[in-house]
Amino acid sequence: MEPWVVATSSIFAYLAVTIVLGVVANRRMAVNLEDFLLYGRRAGFIVLYLTVVATYHSAFAFLGSGGFFYTHGIGFWVAGAWTILVGAITYVLGSRIWALGKRFGYITPADMLADFYESEAVRVVVAVVSVLFTILYIQVQAQGLGYILSVASGERISFELGTFILLIVAAAYLMAGGLRAVYWTDVIQGIWMYVAVWAGAIVITYKLFGGPVSLWRRVVAERPDLLTAPGPHGFFSPGMWFGMVVVLSFGIVFQPHIMIRYYTAASARTIKWLGATTPIFLMTLYIPATFIGLGGALEMPDLGIPDRIFPELLFQHAPAWLTGIILAGATAAAMSTLDSILHSNMTVLTRDIYQRYVAPRATESHYILVGRVIVMILLGVGWILSANTFDFLVVLVSLSGAGALQLMPAIVGVCFPSQYILTRAGILSGIAVGLITLYITLTVTPHPLGLHGGVWSLLTNTMTVLIVSRTTARPSYQTVQRIHGEIERFVYGSEQASS
Amino acid sequence: MRSHFVPRTRDGWIGTIVFLALFALTQPPLVFLVANRIEPRIFGVPFLYMYLLVMYVGMIGVLIWVARRGV
Repeated sequence: MEPWVVATSSIFAYLAVTIVLGVVANRRMAVNLEDFLLYGRRAGFIVLYLTVVATYHSAFAFLGSGGFFYTHGIGFWVAGAWTILVGAITYVLGSRIWALGKRFGYITPADMLADFYESEAVRVVVAVVSVLFTILYIQVQAQGLGYILSVASGERISFELGTFILLIVAAAYLMAGGLRAVYWTDVIQGIWMYVAVWAGAIVITYKLFGGPVSLWRRVVAERPDLLTAPGPHGFFSPGMWFGMVVVLSFGIVFQPHIMIRYYTAASARTIKWLGATTPIFLMTLYIPATFIGLGGALEMPDLGIPDRIFPELLFQHAPAWLTGIILAGATAAAMSTLDSILHSNMTVLTRDIYQRYVAPRATESHYILVGRVIVMILLGVGWILSANTFDFLVVLVSLSGAGALQLMPAIVGVCFPSQYILTRAGILSGIAVGLITLYITLTVTPHPLGLHGGVWSLLTNTMTVLIVSRTTARPSYQTVQRIHGEIERFVYGSEQASS
Repeated sequence: MRSHFVPRTRDGWIGTIVFLALFALTQPPLVFLVANRIEPRIFGVPFLYMYLLVMYVGMIGVLIWVARRGV
């Protein structure tokens, strides 16, 4: 059987499994908003673990990381640092966000921030920032999916049709089963992507080089420029190294599709162990990507699009059945991120905008219906964005990775009690200054002094928040005591003992 | 209310200091000064790659240690 038939059949078999899971999840779903949007706040360790890692790692980890190693060498191994920081942030901040969500019934990031800073403006700004900077990922993941299906079918399925099919499937199981369907499919997707990328890398490494040691030996002999920083094109300078760690750890964790997952944990113990152990999965996924990228640099040094290195190696050197399974794994990597972003945007728009300002007293089933309609609208937006090229999108996508980073001072101000209380005016002005700085340092004069634009934006944001908060009205004493008191009780057991 | 930016327990201090020290060793300028080279290779793996891997394993070890200690 021809490789493209096996590859395409594997992807469609995988899609059928996700649809079945969506239907089963629908039958288990209770008709209430917490169940539809937050899995009833009872996600256990294994389910939460696999959904977080599958959501964090997207099509980029599967295809783009190999391309990065191919082009820039092992400087990209700095990725391990940001994945471990994700674990530490989950342990320290995620557990506090979980505690506040459970105590006060928060569903979205804006719920928590608007409550503490006593501001509807904060709610709207956070909701807009959350949606604006993640809706672009729908486009990125959808394009990745269309590309994978197009490559797998030997371009018999067009990019546009591939994108459309995969968007429809993701939206279908999300609308059917809510976050439960997303979590269940993420379990399969997480396992599938991990096994697939390791299997592909091992097969290619042994078939082409006789094993990892021989591969390293050849890279040392033929391409030593790939084995130190900043790499052959000077990309991994010290400023870029540090900046990518900050942006791709805090910047990703504060995006709503990750933050909302913290609310869903069954217990504090679940989320702390999640933080302690997710880096094992996240970091080790980049080891096979190293072999693929460096091996590809030796075998196919003139590839026009570096991101194609993994599928190109597979089609030339792996058996058809394995290529099919692995490309289905790539599909899983992209879909697990796509469905989570669709879900988080649906949640933010339903909860923070519709329920708050349009129909505050509707029934739970009404909000679920509205959520499903919003998914359909997002589906249409995602397809239009992915099937066309808009100049402004190129700019927005370049900003998106660091967009959620602008919420960091606000979130730290809620989750870390101190004598210095941040204010709503400080937070709003900080976000505004941070976003302006981000635009300038990523598009007008990219990465001034070699430091990543995201770090510049975080610095100006934080300074603005601190300065403005000194002279503007704090949240009320009762609110600060209520929320910081809960954090104190959660972390140290007794508010009075340390007051 | 006392600040949460400063650990209050011995385990909290140990976990914070060791994690931050290991993290600093993976970041500029230290990583560029002490580890940005190919030789000596360890089990055939270039020094920079193996150095970072060891630091990463150490950082994960700290996270698991604090989880076990209930910090």
